[in-house]
Amino acid sequence: MATGRVTILTKPPETLIIASAPVISNTEVMPGTRLLWLEASGVAPSASPGQFLMVYCGRDTLLRRPLSVHRVDGDRLALLFTVVGKGTRWLSQRKAGDAVDIFGPLGSGFTINPDSKNLLLVAGGIGIAPLRFLADVALKEGKKVTLIAGARSAASLLPVSPPQAFFNEGGLPSNIHVVNATDDGSEGFKGLATDLIPAYADGADQLFACGPAPMYRTMAQMPELKGKPVQISLEIMMGCGMGVCYGCTIKTGSGLKQVCKDGPVFSLEDIVWEELEI
Amino acid sequence: MSPDLTVQLAPKHEHGLLLANPVMTASGTFGYGTEYRQVFDVQKLGAIVCKGTTLEPREGNPQPRLFETASGVINSIGLQNIGVKTLIREKAPIWADWQVPVIVNIAGDTVDEYARLAKELDGVAGISGIEVNISCPNVKAGGSAFGAEPDSAAEVTKAVKAATSLPVLVKLTPNTGDITKVATAVAEAGADAISLINSVKGMAIDIIERRPATGNITGGLSGPAIKPLALALVYEVAGAVELPVIGCGGITNSADALEFIMAGASAVQVGSATFSNPHASLDVLEGIEQFMEKEGIESLKEIIGVGRG
Repeated sequence: MATGRVTILTKPPETLIIASAPVISNTEVMPGTRLLWLEASGVAPSASPGQFLMVYCGRDTLLRRPLSVHRVDGDRLALLFTVVGKGTRWLSQRKAGDAVDIFGPLGSGFTINPDSKNLLLVAGGIGIAPLRFLADVALKEGKKVTLIAGARSAASLLPVSPPQAFFNEGGLPSNIHVVNATDDGSEGFKGLATDLIPAYADGADQLFACGPAPMYRTMAQMPELKGKPVQISLEIMMGCGMGVCYGCTIKTGSGLKQVCKDGPVFSLEDIVWEELEI
Repeated sequence: MSPDLTVQLAPKHEHGLLLANPVMTASGTFGYGTEYRQVFDVQKLGAIVCKGTTLEPREGNPQPRLFETASGVINSIGLQNIGVKTLIREKAPIWADWQVPVIVNIAGDTVDEYARLAKELDGVAGISGIEVNISCPNVKAGGSAFGAEPDSAAEVTKAVKAATSLPVLVKLTPNTGDITKVATAVAEAGADAISLINSVKGMAIDIIERRPATGNITGGLSGPAIKPLALALVYEVAGAVELPVIGCGGITNSADALEFIMAGASAVQVGSATFSNPHASLDVLEGIEQFMEKEGIESLKEIIGVGRG
Protein backbone atom coordinates (compact mmCIF):
# COMPACT_ATOMS: atom_id res chain seq x y z
CA MET A 1 0.00 0.00 0.00
CA ALA A 2 1.72 3.14 -1.19
CA THR A 3 0.51 5.85 1.13
CA GLY A 4 3.70 7.81 0.87
CA ARG A 5 4.10 7.48 4.59
CA VAL A 6 7.53 6.54 5.85
CA THR A 7 7.63 3.64 8.23
CA ILE A 8 10.59 3.76 10.51
CA LEU A 9 11.76 0.30 11.33
CA THR A 10 13.47 0.44 14.64
CA LYS A 11 15.84 -2.25 15.80
CA PRO A 12 14.16 -4.38 18.45
CA PRO A 13 15.30 -3.29 21.88
CA GLU A 14 17.85 -5.57 23.45
CA THR A 15 15.78 -5.99 26.57
CA LEU A 16 17.27 -9.18 27.93
CA ILE A 17 20.31 -8.49 30.00
CA ILE A 18 23.23 -10.70 30.88
CA ALA A 19 24.65 -9.10 34.00
CA SER A 20 27.39 -9.81 36.43
CA ALA A 21 25.43 -9.10 39.60
CA PRO A 22 27.34 -8.39 42.81
CA VAL A 23 26.22 -10.49 45.77
CA ILE A 24 24.88 -8.36 48.62
CA SER A 25 24.13 -11.23 50.97
CA ASN A 26 23.62 -14.97 50.84
CA THR A 27 22.03 -16.46 53.93
CA GLU A 28 20.51 -19.77 54.89
CA VAL A 29 17.00 -18.74 55.84
CA MET A 30 15.71 -22.27 56.33
CA PRO A 31 17.57 -25.60 56.45
CA GLY A 32 18.97 -26.13 52.94
CA THR A 33 17.30 -23.02 51.54
CA ARG A 34 19.10 -19.78 50.88
CA LEU A 35 18.13 -16.20 50.24
CA LEU A 36 20.49 -14.52 47.80
CA TRP A 37 20.27 -10.75 47.39
CA LEU A 38 21.93 -9.35 44.28
CA GLU A 39 22.68 -5.87 42.99
CA ALA A 40 21.02 -6.07 39.58
CA SER A 41 20.26 -2.59 38.31
CA GLY A 42 19.67 -3.68 34.71
CA VAL A 43 17.36 -6.54 35.58
CA ALA A 44 15.50 -5.90 38.83
CA PRO A 45 13.37 -2.91 37.79
CA SER A 46 12.00 -4.67 34.72
CA ALA A 47 11.19 -7.98 36.43
CA SER A 48 7.59 -8.86 37.15
CA PRO A 49 6.18 -11.54 39.49
CA GLY A 50 6.43 -15.07 38.11
CA GLN A 51 9.37 -14.27 35.85
CA PHE A 52 12.69 -16.01 36.32
CA LEU A 53 16.40 -15.61 35.69
CA MET A 54 18.78 -18.07 34.11
CA VAL A 55 21.61 -18.16 36.62
CA TYR A 56 25.12 -19.32 35.81
CA CYS A 57 26.09 -21.87 38.47
CA GLY A 58 29.81 -22.48 38.03
CA ARG A 59 32.13 -24.33 35.70
CA ASP A 60 30.85 -27.76 36.67
CA THR A 61 27.52 -26.95 35.06
CA LEU A 62 26.80 -26.41 31.39
CA LEU A 63 23.25 -25.16 31.63
CA ARG A 64 22.14 -22.17 33.64
CA ARG A 65 19.59 -22.81 36.37
CA PRO A 66 16.19 -21.17 36.13
CA LEU A 67 15.33 -19.41 39.41
CA SER A 68 12.24 -17.33 40.12
CA VAL A 69 12.59 -13.74 41.16
CA HIS A 70 11.66 -13.86 44.85
CA ARG A 71 11.75 -10.20 45.77
CA VAL A 72 12.63 -6.88 44.19
CA ASP A 73 13.76 -3.82 46.08
CA GLY A 74 14.70 -1.03 43.70
CA ASP A 75 17.83 -2.13 41.83
CA ARG A 76 18.22 -5.19 44.03
CA LEU A 77 16.59 -8.54 43.66
CA ALA A 78 16.48 -11.69 45.71
CA LEU A 79 16.46 -15.33 44.72
CA LEU A 80 15.24 -18.03 47.09
CA PHE A 81 16.54 -21.49 46.30
CA THR A 82 16.96 -24.93 47.79
CA VAL A 83 20.32 -26.62 47.44
CA VAL A 84 19.53 -29.72 45.39
CA GLY A 85 22.58 -30.36 43.19
CA LYS A 86 25.98 -29.12 42.11
CA GLY A 87 24.66 -25.92 40.55
CA THR A 88 22.69 -24.72 43.55
CA ARG A 89 25.52 -25.89 45.83
CA TRP A 90 27.93 -23.65 43.91
CA LEU A 91 25.45 -20.80 44.16
CA SER A 92 25.04 -21.39 47.90
CA GLN A 93 28.77 -20.74 48.32
CA ARG A 94 28.80 -17.26 46.74
CA LYS A 95 29.68 -14.61 49.28
CA ALA A 96 29.07 -10.89 49.57
CA GLY A 97 31.43 -9.22 47.10
CA ASP A 98 31.37 -12.15 44.64
CA ALA A 99 29.39 -11.73 41.45
CA VAL A 100 26.73 -13.99 39.99
CA ASP A 101 26.06 -14.04 36.26
CA ILE A 102 22.35 -13.65 35.62
CA PHE A 103 20.30 -13.55 32.42
CA GLY A 104 16.80 -12.17 32.31
CA PRO A 105 14.15 -11.35 33.27
CA LEU A 106 12.62 -14.22 31.34
CA GLY A 107 9.26 -15.83 30.82
CA SER A 108 5.66 -14.87 31.12
CA GLY A 109 4.68 -14.33 34.74
CA PHE A 110 1.53 -13.95 36.83
CA THR A 111 -1.24 -11.62 35.74
CA ILE A 112 -3.29 -9.79 38.36
CA ASN A 113 -6.61 -8.68 36.92
CA PRO A 114 -7.24 -5.00 37.66
CA ASP A 115 -10.72 -5.72 39.00
CA SER A 116 -9.64 -8.53 41.33
CA LYS A 117 -9.91 -7.54 44.99
CA ASN A 118 -9.11 -10.73 46.87
CA LEU A 119 -6.20 -12.94 45.83
CA LEU A 120 -5.49 -16.40 47.21
CA LEU A 121 -1.86 -17.51 46.96
CA VAL A 122 -0.93 -21.13 47.61
CA ALA A 123 2.71 -22.03 48.17
CA GLY A 124 4.00 -25.57 48.46
CA GLY A 125 7.48 -25.65 49.98
CA ILE A 126 9.99 -23.65 47.94
CA GLY A 127 7.01 -22.58 45.79
CA ILE A 128 6.92 -19.56 48.04
CA ALA A 129 9.77 -18.16 45.90
CA PRO A 130 7.77 -16.36 43.16
CA LEU A 131 4.68 -15.86 45.32
CA ARG A 132 6.44 -13.55 47.73
CA PHE A 133 7.18 -11.14 44.87
CA LEU A 134 3.59 -11.48 43.68
CA ALA A 135 2.26 -10.73 47.18
CA ASP A 136 4.44 -7.62 47.44
CA VAL A 137 3.20 -6.29 44.11
CA ALA A 138 -0.43 -7.18 44.84
CA LEU A 139 -0.32 -5.40 48.21
CA LYS A 140 1.16 -2.36 46.53
CA GLU A 141 -1.78 -2.40 44.13
CA GLY A 142 -4.18 -2.40 47.08
CA LYS A 143 -5.29 -6.03 46.75
CA LYS A 144 -6.14 -8.20 49.71
CA VAL A 145 -3.83 -11.19 49.81
CA THR A 146 -4.37 -14.48 51.59
CA LEU A 147 -1.32 -16.73 51.48
CA ILE A 148 -1.56 -20.40 52.32
CA ALA A 149 1.99 -21.55 52.91
CA GLY A 150 2.63 -25.26 53.15
CA ALA A 151 5.87 -26.92 54.25
CA ARG A 152 7.16 -30.11 55.84
CA SER A 153 7.60 -28.55 59.24
CA ALA A 154 7.83 -25.20 61.03
CA ALA A 155 11.54 -24.98 60.24
CA SER A 156 10.78 -24.95 56.51
CA LEU A 157 8.27 -22.11 56.58
CA LEU A 158 9.52 -18.78 55.36
CA PRO A 159 8.39 -15.92 57.59
CA VAL A 160 6.41 -13.60 55.35
CA SER A 161 5.96 -10.01 56.37
CA PRO A 162 5.59 -6.99 54.15
CA PRO A 163 8.77 -4.95 53.63
CA GLN A 164 9.24 -1.57 55.31
CA ALA A 165 8.63 0.13 51.99
CA PHE A 166 5.10 -1.25 52.07
CA PHE A 167 4.38 0.52 55.34
CA ASN A 168 6.18 3.66 54.17
CA GLU A 169 3.83 3.82 51.22
CA GLY A 170 0.79 3.61 53.47
CA GLY A 171 0.08 -0.08 52.90
CA LEU A 172 -2.35 -1.75 55.24
CA PRO A 173 -0.97 -4.77 57.12
CA SER A 174 -4.54 -6.02 57.45
CA ASN A 175 -4.48 -6.63 53.71
CA ILE A 176 -2.20 -9.65 54.12
CA HIS A 177 -3.25 -12.80 55.83
CA VAL A 178 -0.88 -15.74 56.12
CA VAL A 179 -2.10 -19.25 56.91
CA ASN A 180 0.56 -21.86 57.55
CA ALA A 181 0.21 -25.59 57.03
CA THR A 182 2.80 -28.21 57.95
CA ASP A 183 2.94 -31.92 57.25
CA ASP A 184 3.88 -32.67 60.86
CA GLY A 185 1.69 -30.07 62.50
CA SER A 186 4.64 -28.29 64.07
CA GLU A 187 3.21 -24.96 62.91
CA GLY A 188 -0.34 -24.01 61.95
CA PHE A 189 -2.66 -26.45 60.26
CA LYS A 190 -1.54 -30.08 60.22
CA GLY A 191 -1.84 -31.21 56.65
CA LEU A 192 -1.26 -30.05 53.10
CA ALA A 193 -1.66 -26.51 51.82
CA THR A 194 -4.21 -27.83 49.34
CA ASP A 195 -6.38 -29.15 52.20
CA LEU A 196 -7.06 -25.53 53.12
CA ILE A 197 -7.96 -24.31 49.64
CA PRO A 198 -11.70 -25.17 49.86
CA ALA A 199 -12.05 -23.02 52.97
CA TYR A 200 -10.57 -19.95 51.28
CA ALA A 201 -11.36 -20.35 47.58
CA ASP A 202 -14.87 -18.96 47.85
CA GLY A 203 -13.88 -15.37 48.54
CA ALA A 204 -10.98 -15.30 46.11
CA ASP A 205 -11.28 -13.55 42.76
CA GLN A 206 -8.07 -15.17 41.54
CA LEU A 207 -5.78 -17.94 42.73
CA PHE A 208 -2.04 -18.20 42.23
CA ALA A 209 -0.10 -21.33 43.11
CA CYS A 210 3.46 -22.52 43.05
CA GLY A 211 4.56 -25.90 44.29
CA PRO A 212 5.26 -29.47 43.24
CA ALA A 213 3.28 -31.09 40.40
CA PRO A 214 1.20 -33.32 42.77
CA MET A 215 -0.14 -30.14 44.38
CA TYR A 216 -1.41 -28.93 41.01
CA ARG A 217 -2.89 -32.31 40.22
CA THR A 218 -4.86 -32.15 43.46
CA MET A 219 -6.01 -28.65 42.64
CA ALA A 220 -7.07 -29.68 39.14
CA GLN A 221 -9.50 -32.16 40.73
CA MET A 222 -11.05 -29.75 43.25
CA PRO A 223 -14.72 -28.96 42.67
CA GLU A 224 -14.21 -25.70 44.60
CA LEU A 225 -11.83 -24.49 41.89
CA LYS A 226 -14.01 -25.28 38.90
CA GLY A 227 -14.45 -22.12 36.88
CA LYS A 228 -12.06 -20.14 39.10
CA PRO A 229 -9.15 -18.36 37.43
CA VAL A 230 -6.11 -20.22 38.76
CA GLN A 231 -2.56 -19.47 37.64
CA ILE A 232 0.24 -21.89 38.41
CA SER A 233 3.98 -21.78 37.88
CA LEU A 234 5.64 -24.87 36.42
CA GLU A 235 9.17 -26.05 37.06
CA ILE A 236 11.07 -28.07 34.48
CA MET A 237 14.62 -28.58 33.22
CA MET A 238 15.44 -25.76 30.80
CA GLY A 239 18.18 -25.33 28.23
CA CYS A 240 18.08 -21.83 26.83
CA GLY A 241 15.42 -20.07 28.91
CA MET A 242 14.03 -18.21 25.93
CA GLY A 243 12.22 -20.59 23.67
CA VAL A 244 14.84 -21.67 21.16
CA CYS A 245 15.90 -25.15 22.27
CA TYR A 246 12.48 -26.76 22.77
CA GLY A 247 13.82 -28.61 25.81
CA CYS A 248 10.93 -27.63 28.08
CA THR A 249 7.97 -28.24 25.78
CA ILE A 250 4.71 -29.41 27.35
CA LYS A 251 1.28 -30.19 25.92
CA THR A 252 -1.51 -27.87 26.91
CA GLY A 253 -5.13 -27.43 25.96
CA SER A 254 -4.00 -24.76 23.51
CA GLY A 255 -1.21 -26.78 21.92
CA LEU A 256 2.46 -27.26 22.59
CA LYS A 257 3.96 -24.64 24.88
CA GLN A 258 7.46 -23.90 26.03
CA VAL A 259 7.58 -23.46 29.78
CA CYS A 260 10.41 -20.93 29.53
CA LYS A 261 8.79 -18.60 27.04
CA ASP A 262 5.04 -19.21 27.13
CA GLY A 263 5.24 -19.86 30.90
CA PRO A 264 6.40 -20.64 33.50
CA VAL A 265 2.96 -19.37 34.54
CA PHE A 266 0.01 -21.17 32.99
CA SER A 267 -3.68 -21.36 33.63
CA LEU A 268 -4.40 -24.48 35.74
CA GLU A 269 -7.17 -25.60 33.41
CA ASP A 270 -4.91 -25.28 30.37
CA ILE A 271 -2.53 -28.03 31.49
CA VAL A 272 -3.26 -31.51 30.18
CA TRP A 273 -2.43 -33.36 33.40
CA GLU A 274 -2.69 -36.84 31.91
CA GLU A 275 0.04 -35.91 29.44
CA LEU A 276 2.30 -33.88 31.68
CA GLU A 277 5.50 -35.84 32.11
CA ILE A 278 7.13 -33.61 34.69
CA MET B 1 43.09 -1.96 9.37
CA SER B 2 40.80 -4.61 10.74
CA PRO B 3 41.49 -8.12 9.48
CA ASP B 4 39.58 -9.70 6.60
CA LEU B 5 37.20 -12.22 8.13
CA THR B 6 35.14 -12.97 5.04
CA VAL B 7 34.52 -16.55 4.04
CA GLN B 8 33.18 -17.95 0.79
CA LEU B 9 31.17 -20.98 1.86
CA ALA B 10 30.04 -22.07 -1.59
CA PRO B 11 32.88 -21.40 -4.06
CA LYS B 12 31.49 -23.89 -6.59
CA HIS B 13 28.02 -22.35 -6.53
CA GLU B 14 27.13 -19.85 -9.26
CA HIS B 15 26.11 -17.15 -6.74
CA GLY B 16 28.32 -18.35 -3.91
CA LEU B 17 27.53 -17.81 -0.23
CA LEU B 18 29.74 -15.06 1.10
CA LEU B 19 29.82 -14.61 4.88
CA ALA B 20 31.14 -11.45 6.52
CA ASN B 21 32.84 -13.63 9.10
CA PRO B 22 33.21 -17.33 9.93
CA VAL B 23 30.94 -17.49 12.99
CA MET B 24 27.60 -19.19 12.53
CA THR B 25 25.03 -20.52 14.95
CA ALA B 26 24.35 -24.24 15.08
CA SER B 27 20.89 -25.47 14.19
CA GLY B 28 18.63 -26.09 17.16
CA THR B 29 20.47 -23.76 19.51
CA PHE B 30 19.46 -20.38 18.13
CA GLY B 31 15.80 -20.83 17.22
CA TYR B 32 14.96 -18.73 14.19
CA GLY B 33 17.48 -16.04 15.07
CA THR B 34 14.65 -13.66 15.83
CA GLU B 35 14.56 -14.57 19.52
CA TYR B 36 18.12 -13.47 20.21
CA ARG B 37 17.48 -9.98 18.86
CA GLN B 38 16.42 -9.29 22.43
CA VAL B 39 19.95 -10.12 23.58
CA PHE B 40 22.34 -8.75 20.94
CA ASP B 41 22.60 -7.59 17.37
CA VAL B 42 22.42 -10.96 15.61
CA GLN B 43 23.29 -9.33 12.30
CA LYS B 44 26.91 -9.15 13.37
CA LEU B 45 27.20 -12.93 12.92
CA GLY B 46 28.50 -14.62 9.79
CA ALA B 47 25.33 -16.65 9.29
CA ILE B 48 22.40 -18.00 11.23
CA VAL B 49 21.31 -21.60 10.84
CA CYS B 50 17.75 -22.03 12.00
CA LYS B 51 16.02 -24.86 13.82
CA GLY B 52 15.73 -28.15 11.89
CA THR B 53 12.65 -27.90 9.72
CA THR B 54 10.37 -30.61 8.36
CA LEU B 55 7.56 -30.59 5.80
CA GLU B 56 4.86 -30.73 8.46
CA PRO B 57 5.08 -29.29 11.97
CA ARG B 58 6.45 -31.78 14.51
CA GLU B 59 5.67 -32.21 18.18
CA GLY B 60 9.01 -33.78 19.08
CA ASN B 61 9.85 -36.34 21.73
CA PRO B 62 8.36 -36.91 25.18
CA GLN B 63 9.92 -35.28 28.25
CA PRO B 64 12.50 -35.30 29.68
CA ARG B 65 14.30 -33.74 26.74
CA LEU B 66 17.44 -32.48 28.42
CA PHE B 67 19.97 -34.05 30.74
CA GLU B 68 23.18 -32.40 31.84
CA THR B 69 26.32 -34.56 31.82
CA ALA B 70 29.98 -33.89 32.59
CA SER B 71 30.86 -30.92 30.35
CA GLY B 72 27.91 -31.64 28.14
CA VAL B 73 24.21 -31.97 27.67
CA ILE B 74 22.15 -34.79 26.18
CA ASN B 75 19.17 -33.57 24.24
CA SER B 76 16.22 -35.52 22.98
CA ILE B 77 14.15 -32.82 21.34
CA GLY B 78 13.09 -34.85 18.32
CA LEU B 79 12.92 -32.01 15.80
CA GLN B 80 9.97 -30.15 17.26
CA ASN B 81 9.42 -27.37 14.73
CA ILE B 82 6.81 -25.20 13.07
CA GLY B 83 7.04 -26.85 9.65
CA VAL B 84 8.32 -25.38 6.41
CA LYS B 85 5.11 -23.59 5.40
CA THR B 86 4.90 -21.57 8.62
CA LEU B 87 8.62 -20.89 8.39
CA ILE B 88 8.22 -19.46 4.90
CA ARG B 89 5.17 -17.44 5.89
CA GLU B 90 6.28 -16.09 9.27
CA LYS B 91 10.08 -16.20 9.52
CA ALA B 92 11.46 -15.66 6.02
CA PRO B 93 9.89 -12.18 5.62
CA ILE B 94 11.77 -11.07 8.76
CA TRP B 95 15.02 -12.54 7.47
CA ALA B 96 14.55 -10.82 4.12
CA ASP B 97 15.30 -7.49 5.81
CA TRP B 98 18.49 -8.79 7.40
CA GLN B 99 22.04 -8.39 6.21
CA VAL B 100 23.07 -11.66 7.84
CA PRO B 101 22.42 -14.75 5.69
CA VAL B 102 19.99 -17.26 7.14
CA ILE B 103 20.44 -20.92 6.29
CA VAL B 104 17.52 -23.28 6.78
CA ASN B 105 18.31 -26.68 8.26
CA ILE B 106 16.03 -29.34 6.74
CA ALA B 107 15.20 -32.89 7.85
CA GLY B 108 13.05 -35.53 6.22
CA ASP B 109 11.98 -39.11 6.70
CA THR B 110 12.52 -39.97 3.05
CA VAL B 111 14.72 -38.75 0.20
CA ASP B 112 11.61 -37.35 -1.43
CA GLU B 113 10.80 -35.28 1.66
CA TYR B 114 14.24 -33.68 1.58
CA ALA B 115 13.72 -32.83 -2.09
CA ARG B 116 10.28 -31.37 -1.44
CA LEU B 117 11.64 -29.25 1.40
CA ALA B 118 14.42 -27.95 -0.83
CA LYS B 119 11.93 -27.12 -3.54
CA GLU B 120 9.63 -25.27 -1.11
CA LEU B 121 12.55 -23.12 0.05
CA ASP B 122 13.91 -22.37 -3.40
CA GLY B 123 13.57 -18.72 -4.34
CA VAL B 124 12.08 -17.65 -1.00
CA ALA B 125 13.32 -14.17 -0.10
CA GLY B 126 15.27 -14.20 3.14
CA ILE B 127 16.70 -17.68 2.74
CA SER B 128 20.33 -17.81 1.65
CA GLY B 129 21.07 -21.50 1.84
CA ILE B 130 20.05 -24.96 2.96
CA GLU B 131 21.74 -27.17 5.49
CA VAL B 132 20.76 -30.78 4.97
CA ASN B 133 20.38 -32.54 8.28
CA ILE B 134 21.21 -36.18 7.73
CA SER B 135 22.52 -36.45 11.22
CA CYS B 136 19.80 -35.95 13.84
CA PRO B 137 20.18 -38.73 16.42
CA ASN B 138 16.72 -38.17 17.88
CA VAL B 139 14.27 -39.22 15.21
CA LYS B 140 13.24 -42.75 14.34
CA ALA B 141 13.12 -42.62 10.56
CA GLY B 142 15.54 -40.63 8.44
CA GLY B 143 17.82 -38.36 10.39
CA SER B 144 21.19 -39.89 11.09
CA ALA B 145 20.21 -43.07 9.24
CA PHE B 146 20.86 -41.17 6.00
CA GLY B 147 24.15 -39.80 7.22
CA ALA B 148 25.55 -43.11 8.41
CA GLU B 149 26.17 -44.52 4.92
CA PRO B 150 27.92 -42.86 1.95
CA ASP B 151 25.31 -44.06 -0.56
CA SER B 152 22.24 -42.75 1.27
CA ALA B 153 24.03 -39.51 2.17
CA ALA B 154 24.87 -38.98 -1.49
CA GLU B 155 21.34 -39.81 -2.58
CA VAL B 156 19.83 -37.17 -0.29
CA THR B 157 22.43 -34.60 -1.37
CA LYS B 158 21.74 -35.23 -5.06
CA ALA B 159 17.99 -34.95 -4.56
CA VAL B 160 18.31 -31.67 -2.68
CA LYS B 161 20.75 -30.19 -5.19
CA ALA B 162 18.40 -31.08 -8.02
CA ALA B 163 15.48 -29.39 -6.27
CA THR B 164 17.03 -26.05 -5.40
CA SER B 165 19.25 -23.34 -6.76
CA LEU B 166 20.33 -22.37 -3.24
CA PRO B 167 23.78 -23.26 -1.89
CA VAL B 168 23.59 -26.59 -0.08
CA LEU B 169 25.49 -27.49 3.06
CA VAL B 170 25.32 -31.06 4.31
CA LYS B 171 25.63 -31.70 8.03
CA LEU B 172 27.26 -34.97 8.98
CA THR B 173 26.83 -37.26 11.95
CA PRO B 174 29.81 -38.58 13.91
CA ASN B 175 27.91 -41.87 14.30
CA THR B 176 29.29 -43.56 11.22
CA GLY B 177 32.16 -45.85 10.36
CA ASP B 178 34.49 -43.77 8.23
CA ILE B 179 33.25 -40.20 8.06
CA THR B 180 35.63 -39.33 5.21
CA LYS B 181 33.78 -41.80 2.98
CA VAL B 182 30.46 -40.10 3.75
CA ALA B 183 32.05 -36.67 3.22
CA THR B 184 33.57 -37.72 -0.11
CA ALA B 185 30.27 -39.18 -1.28
CA VAL B 186 28.41 -36.00 -0.32
CA ALA B 187 31.01 -33.85 -2.08
CA GLU B 188 30.76 -35.93 -5.25
CA ALA B 189 26.96 -35.65 -5.07
CA GLY B 190 27.27 -31.90 -5.42
CA ALA B 191 27.27 -30.44 -1.90
CA ASP B 192 28.60 -26.88 -1.71
CA ALA B 193 29.97 -27.25 1.81
CA ILE B 194 30.06 -29.78 4.63
CA SER B 195 29.27 -29.03 8.24
CA LEU B 196 30.17 -31.38 11.07
CA ILE B 197 29.46 -32.67 13.60
CA ASN B 198 25.89 -33.05 14.74
CA SER B 199 25.47 -34.25 18.33
CA VAL B 200 26.87 -37.64 19.31
CA LYS B 201 24.47 -40.43 20.25
CA GLY B 202 24.56 -40.71 24.03
CA MET B 203 22.61 -41.93 27.01
CA ALA B 204 22.12 -41.49 30.74
CA ILE B 205 20.09 -43.53 33.21
CA ASP B 206 18.19 -42.26 36.22
CA ILE B 207 19.23 -44.88 38.79
CA ILE B 208 16.47 -43.97 41.25
CA GLU B 209 13.68 -44.20 38.68
CA ARG B 210 15.55 -47.01 36.92
CA ARG B 211 14.86 -45.70 33.46
CA PRO B 212 16.60 -43.64 30.77
CA ALA B 213 17.15 -40.03 31.78
CA THR B 214 15.73 -38.74 28.50
CA GLY B 215 12.34 -39.54 26.99
CA ASN B 216 13.55 -41.11 23.75
CA ILE B 217 15.97 -43.46 25.61
CA THR B 218 19.08 -42.22 23.81
CA GLY B 219 19.79 -38.63 22.85
CA GLY B 220 22.40 -36.39 21.27
CA LEU B 221 25.38 -35.31 23.34
CA SER B 222 26.75 -31.82 22.75
CA GLY B 223 28.93 -29.35 24.60
CA PRO B 224 32.64 -29.23 25.47
CA ALA B 225 32.62 -32.99 26.12
CA ILE B 226 32.53 -33.67 22.36
CA LYS B 227 34.99 -31.02 21.21
CA PRO B 228 38.13 -33.19 20.80
CA LEU B 229 36.07 -35.80 18.97
CA ALA B 230 34.58 -33.16 16.67
CA LEU B 231 37.96 -31.58 16.05
CA ALA B 232 39.50 -34.89 14.96
CA LEU B 233 36.63 -35.53 12.55
CA VAL B 234 36.83 -32.02 11.12
CA TYR B 235 40.56 -32.57 10.64
CA GLU B 236 39.91 -35.82 8.77
CA VAL B 237 37.13 -34.46 6.57
CA ALA B 238 39.02 -31.25 5.75
CA GLY B 239 41.87 -33.48 4.56
CA ALA B 240 39.56 -35.61 2.43
CA VAL B 241 37.46 -33.07 0.51
CA GLU B 242 38.13 -29.87 -1.40
CA LEU B 243 34.92 -28.24 -0.18
CA PRO B 244 34.71 -25.69 2.63
CA VAL B 245 34.23 -27.44 5.94
CA ILE B 246 32.26 -25.90 8.80
CA GLY B 247 33.41 -27.06 12.21
CA CYS B 248 30.92 -27.63 14.99
CA GLY B 249 30.96 -29.43 18.31
CA GLY B 250 31.62 -28.03 21.77
CA ILE B 251 32.88 -24.63 20.68
CA THR B 252 32.62 -22.38 23.73
CA ASN B 253 35.11 -19.59 23.04
CA SER B 254 37.30 -18.14 20.32
CA ALA B 255 40.24 -20.41 21.18
CA ASP B 256 38.03 -23.43 20.50
CA ALA B 257 36.89 -21.88 17.22
CA LEU B 258 40.47 -21.14 16.16
CA GLU B 259 41.39 -24.79 16.79
CA PHE B 260 38.71 -25.85 14.32
CA ILE B 261 39.86 -23.25 11.80
CA MET B 262 43.47 -24.35 12.14
CA ALA B 263 42.31 -27.97 11.71
CA GLY B 264 40.95 -26.95 8.32
CA ALA B 265 37.49 -25.50 8.92
CA SER B 266 36.59 -22.40 6.92
CA ALA B 267 33.85 -21.47 9.36
CA VAL B 268 32.48 -22.60 12.69
CA GLN B 269 29.11 -23.11 14.34
CA VAL B 270 28.48 -22.25 17.97
CA GLY B 271 25.87 -24.53 19.51
CA SER B 272 24.94 -25.32 23.08
CA ALA B 273 27.46 -22.77 24.38
CA THR B 274 24.72 -20.22 23.66
CA PHE B 275 22.63 -21.74 26.47
CA SER B 276 25.37 -21.14 29.00
CA ASN B 277 26.34 -17.79 27.53
CA PRO B 278 23.68 -16.23 25.28
CA HIS B 279 26.43 -13.98 23.87
CA ALA B 280 28.71 -16.92 23.05
CA SER B 281 28.61 -16.61 19.27
CA LEU B 282 29.37 -12.91 19.37
CA ASP B 283 32.13 -13.46 21.93
CA VAL B 284 33.68 -16.09 19.63
CA LEU B 285 33.64 -13.64 16.74
CA GLU B 286 35.19 -10.82 18.74
CA GLY B 287 37.82 -13.19 20.12
CA ILE B 288 38.82 -14.38 16.64
CA GLU B 289 39.14 -10.78 15.48
CA GLN B 290 41.28 -9.85 18.49
CA PHE B 291 43.49 -12.91 18.00
CA MET B 292 44.09 -12.00 14.37
CA GLU B 293 44.92 -8.41 15.21
CA LYS B 294 47.30 -9.47 17.97
CA GLU B 295 49.00 -12.07 15.78
CA GLY B 296 49.18 -9.78 12.78
CA ILE B 297 46.97 -11.99 10.62
CA GLU B 298 45.43 -9.95 7.82
CA SER B 299 43.07 -12.53 6.41
CA LEU B 300 41.32 -15.52 7.93
CA LYS B 301 42.44 -17.55 4.90
CA GLU B 302 45.99 -17.37 6.22
CA ILE B 303 45.15 -19.58 9.18
CA ILE B 304 42.67 -22.09 7.77
CA GLY B 305 44.34 -25.48 8.15
CA VAL B 306 47.65 -24.13 9.46
CA GLY B 307 47.50 -26.35 12.54
CA ARG B 308 47.18 -29.64 10.69
CA GLY B 309 50.81 -30.57 11.33
